[in-house]
Amino acid sequence: MKLVTIGFLALFLAACGSSKKPDEKAFLESLDSAKSGPTIDEEVISSILQQIPSPLEISVLLKESGTKYNSTILNTSDNLSKYNSNYKKALNLGVYGTDLGYTNIYEQNQDGIKYLTSIKSLADGLNIGQFFDIETIGRLATNSKNLDSLLLITTQNFNSINHYLQTQSRANLSVLLLIGGWVEAMQITCQVAAKDIKNKDLQEKIGEQKIILEQIVLLLSFYKDDTNMASLLKDMEDLKGAFDKINITYTYKESTMEIVDGVAVIKDNSTTTINITEQDVANIRNLTNSLRNKIIS
Amino acid sequence: MKKVLFILVFVSAISAATTVLNGQCNPDNFANACIPKLASGFNFLKSYKVDGEGGSKDKVEYSYVFTKGTQYMINLCANGANTDGLIVTLFDSGRNKVATSKINGQFISAIAYPCNATGIYYIQYTFDGSAGNCGGSALGFKR
Repeated sequence: MKLVTIGFLALFLAACGSSKKPDEKAFLESLDSAKSGPTIDEEVISSILQQIPSPLEISVLLKESGTKYNSTILNTSDNLSKYNSNYKKALNLGVYGTDLGYTNIYEQNQDGIKYLTSIKSLADGLNIGQFFDIETIGRLATNSKNLDSLLLITTQNFNSINHYLQTQSRANLSVLLLIGGWVEAMQITCQVAAKDIKNKDLQEKIGEQKIILEQIVLLLSFYKDDTNMASLLKDMEDLKGAFDKINITYTYKESTMEIVDGVAVIKDNSTTTINITEQDVANIRNLTNSLRNKIIS
Repeated sequence: MKKVLFILVFVSAISAATTVLNGQCNPDNFANACIPKLASGFNFLKSYKVDGEGGSKDKVEYSYVFTKGTQYMINLCANGANTDGLIVTLFDSGRNKVATSKINGQFISAIAYPCNATGIYYIQYTFDGSAGNCGGSALGFKR
């Protein structure tokens, strides 16, 4: 049925003439990449996608722990012109999304505006630019008092993009967007940890990414018939190999609750212990760095 | 910033108030109405639609990876008082109950969860004596 629909759509577009507008071209390219996957119900993919945490959580952690802002660990917005395929555009939309979140958290508005422009351009290229309210975000970014609204609207825009892609059977792009964002957040964390090698909190933060990486590998495995996705899956599996050495022990203990000002406040008595060595962190950092360079180049 | 938040609250409140009047559940409106109701200091992460499909669906479930050292807040929005019987219950990856918004028979509209154990958690929404079987929810975080 899907093939018949695609066939009719292709015939219709051909009948409209061969001089395609840029957004039509992007739409067709995305159909091309949808031919070879996924091999599982898209509802399952959506349910895995929505459980991956926001990269913003890492940026907040770094700022709260006193780490100074460092723009050199981000992907420069000048790299935008390198991203010509939908595969690269979607991955780097995720990368720049994480970078924008990082600049926002640190209230580095000038840098943030550069990322906004790149994000809008990549989103337009993927025919999802309508979900990115660059005017409002740009206005909010000019005043640090608007931080809460800025974070809120940016997060809402990315959520809308992901939701739209999934409802349009373009979840493959949503997967790439998410992976780009995650790899960039990993890269930022690893770079910060490299300068503070005894920081146990950062080591644990890296170690617990094992849980998320397992979900990412699972997601990519549904698209392994696609050449680009298969290659990315291979890289992710290599990274997973380094994470396999990390041991995460979970101990459940019933939580307690009390009502404070109309809110049920939970006291979590469960714990996780993450066993990760400095050598594990170094291995993960090297693999992440190499994967991230492949994505942004 | 106040103006933006005011507009968000106002538009969301109007939409939410009218959302089940015609008998149809529009959980998007409730989910959007919940976002500005997250307590101060919490950063918005996700909004969740809860459509009980007129009572034919007894639960709606989502999942999210919560991380140790982060405090999360999940709030609830529905028509009428007492969250219209909408309850959120949090389970860990082993399906052990971690938290619920119904405590001693009382329906609470938000739970704050300072996470001490990283893992996949299931956020399950159920209805208990609900008139609309319709609502929304938002998830936020702070360190």
